[in-house]
Amino acid sequence: MEEEHSTRLMKPSPAIVFLGPATCVVMLFLVAPLVLLARYSLNRYDPTELMIEAVTPANYLRFFTEAFYWEVMRTTIMVAVLVTCLSLVLGLPIAYRLARTTSRWKSVMMLMIVLPLFIGSTVRTVGWMILFAQSGVMDSLAVRLFGLRIDLMYTPAAVVIGTLSVILPFMVLTLQSVFEGIDARLEEAAQGLGAAPGRAFWRIVWPLALPGIGIAAILSFILGMNAYATPVLLGGPRFQMMAPLLFWEFNTNSNWPFSAALAFILMATTLLLTTLTNVVIPRRYRA
Amino acid sequence: MRDVPGFSRRSVLAGGLAAPLAVPALITGARANETFVLGTWGGDYQRLQLENIELPLVRPLGLEAVADTGDEPPRVAKIMATRRLPRGPLDVACLQAVQAYALGEAGVLEELTPEKVPNLAHVKEGLATATFAPHIWSPQIISYSPERVTSPPTGFGDLADPRYNGKVGFPDGNFFYVMMAAGLFAGGSANDFDKAKEVMTKVNANGLRLYPSTDAGGPPFKTGEIDIGMMWLARISMWQNAGIPVAAAFPKEGCILYVSGMVVPKNAPNKEAAFKYINAMLDPAAQLGFAKNMGYLPTVTNAPLTGKVAEQLALPTPPPKLVVPDFAFTSKIQPEIADWWKKSIQHG
Repeated sequence: MEEEHSTRLMKPSPAIVFLGPATCVVMLFLVAPLVLLARYSLNRYDPTELMIEAVTPANYLRFFTEAFYWEVMRTTIMVAVLVTCLSLVLGLPIAYRLARTTSRWKSVMMLMIVLPLFIGSTVRTVGWMILFAQSGVMDSLAVRLFGLRIDLMYTPAAVVIGTLSVILPFMVLTLQSVFEGIDARLEEAAQGLGAAPGRAFWRIVWPLALPGIGIAAILSFILGMNAYATPVLLGGPRFQMMAPLLFWEFNTNSNWPFSAALAFILMATTLLLTTLTNVVIPRRYRA
Repeated sequence: MRDVPGFSRRSVLAGGLAAPLAVPALITGARANETFVLGTWGGDYQRLQLENIELPLVRPLGLEAVADTGDEPPRVAKIMATRRLPRGPLDVACLQAVQAYALGEAGVLEELTPEKVPNLAHVKEGLATATFAPHIWSPQIISYSPERVTSPPTGFGDLADPRYNGKVGFPDGNFFYVMMAAGLFAGGSANDFDKAKEVMTKVNANGLRLYPSTDAGGPPFKTGEIDIGMMWLARISMWQNAGIPVAAAFPKEGCILYVSGMVVPKNAPNKEAAFKYINAMLDPAAQLGFAKNMGYLPTVTNAPLTGKVAEQLALPTPPPKLVVPDFAFTSKIQPEIADWWKKSIQHG
C-alpha cells in the first residue's frame, strides 16, 4: 500500500506531462527574450558604443517626462480604442448572422472572412495604398463622379481604415465561435414567450456572449495597440504611434535601451488597459 | 573474340589503370567554393552585387558569398552584439559611410590598407576611411518637376519658397542628409545644424510632405502631389528610366555626398575572402556596372564613364561643390538631430 502511494507520488501527473513541453517553449522563446529586453532597458545609450551596461531608470524617465511621448501614447490608445469599437460594431452583426445561418453557403462565407488572413497585413496595406493614393482608385473615382479630390493617404482616417481591415476578421471569427456556443433554442424560447427578436437578443444572447465579446475586444485592442505596418505605410512619418516610434529609435539611432524601455511601457499600458476590462464588465458576466 | 569498335583490350586496361589517378583531379574540379558571409541590402543592390562583383570577379577566385540580406540597423546591431566573440557572423558588411565611421570609432572594424585590398590605391580622395572602402556615391540634388517648375531651382532655399507651398516632399529616411544640405545653405557648413534647424522649420511650414520609403518619393512627381524635393542624383536617374518626369538641379551652395561601401569586422571568420571581395568591388568593371544599372558614381579613379551613362550622370560645368560629410562630427550628432527631427519636423 505504502509502495503504491510512493509510486503514485513519483509518477508525474498527466497535466505536467502535457503542459511541460509548451511551458518550456514559452519560457525559452517568450520569457527569456523579455528578461533580456528588461535588462537592456536599464542600460545606457552611447552614440559610439551604442549600449553601455548600467542599471539606470533614465530611459523610463525620458518617456514619462517628455510630453511628446505621452502624446504618441495617447494617439496609439485612441486608434486602438476606435478600431476596437468599430470592429465590434461592424463585426458583431456579421458574426451573429454567420453563427445562426443554416445556409449551405456558410462554409463559403466563413472562407471569405478567413481569406484576408491568408495574405500578410503588409501586402494588404499596399492594396490600401493603391486605393488611397493621390490619383489612385478612390481619388480618380471621386473626381470622375463628383468632381472632388479625395486625399486619404497619410491621414489618421487611412490608418484607422487599414487597421480595421486587419482586425475585423479576428473579431468576426472570435465572435462567431462565441455565438455558436450559445444555444439558439434559448432565443426561440424567449421569442416563444413573447419577446421581440431584438429584445431576445439583448436580454438572452448579449449577457451570455458578453465574456466572449470582452475577449474579442481585448484581442482587437492588443492588435490595435501594437499596429506597425499600417501606421507606417498609410499614416506616413508624421503619424506617430508607439510601435513605429519604437522601431524609429532602434532603426535610426540603434538606441536599444530606449527602444526596450518603450517596448515595456507599451506592453505594460496594454496590459493595464485590458485589465480594466474586468472593471467595465460586471463580475457575473466575466469569462 | 571480336573487339568492340574503338576499344581495344589494351586501351580498356590502360583506362582502368588511369581511372584512379584521375579521381583526385575530378574531385578538385567539383569541389565547392570557399564561402564567406556578405551582410548586404536586398533588392537591386544585392542582384547587381551578384551580377557585377561575385559572378564575374569573385567566383573565379574559388570564393562564393553567402548573403545575409537585411536592413542596415540589424547589421550594425549584429556587429556590435558579437564584437567580443572570437568569430563574428559577418565577413563583409555593407554600410553607409556615416554608420561605418561610427563602427570604426567603436574599434570593431578591421583596418583596410592597399596591402590587403590593392584596389584601394585607386579610391577617390576623401571617400575612404581607415576601416571603410567606399563602393558607390551620389550627390544629393534638388529634384523637381520639369513640367510644373518653369525655372529650375537654384538652392535649398527654394524648398521654403511659398510658390511651392504644399508641393515640397522627400523620403523621411533621408532627413540627416537633408539637414546637412540645409546647414550648407543657411550656414555655409554641413555641420551647422543650428542654422539648418531654422531653415528646415520654414520648409516644414511650407507644407512639407514626408514619404515613408525612398521608392515612395518618386511617384508623387508623376501624380502632381509634389513639385520639388531633395534626392540622390542616382535615384533621379532611376526614376527617369522608370518614366517618372523628374529633373535634377545642383544647388549653388553645394551638394552633400551620399557614400556607401563595405567594412570587415575585426572578428570576421574569413578575412582573406573579405579582402578579395572588397578588392573585386573596387574593380573598374564592377564599378561601371553599378553606374550603368543603378546610377551611382564610381568611387575609383580608374573607371571613367562613357556614353549614355556619362551623359545622364554628368556633373554640370563648372563642377558643383561636392561636400563629403564630416563623419567624425556627424556620427556623434546624428542621434540628437534624429530626436529633433522626430519631435519638431515629423510631429511639427
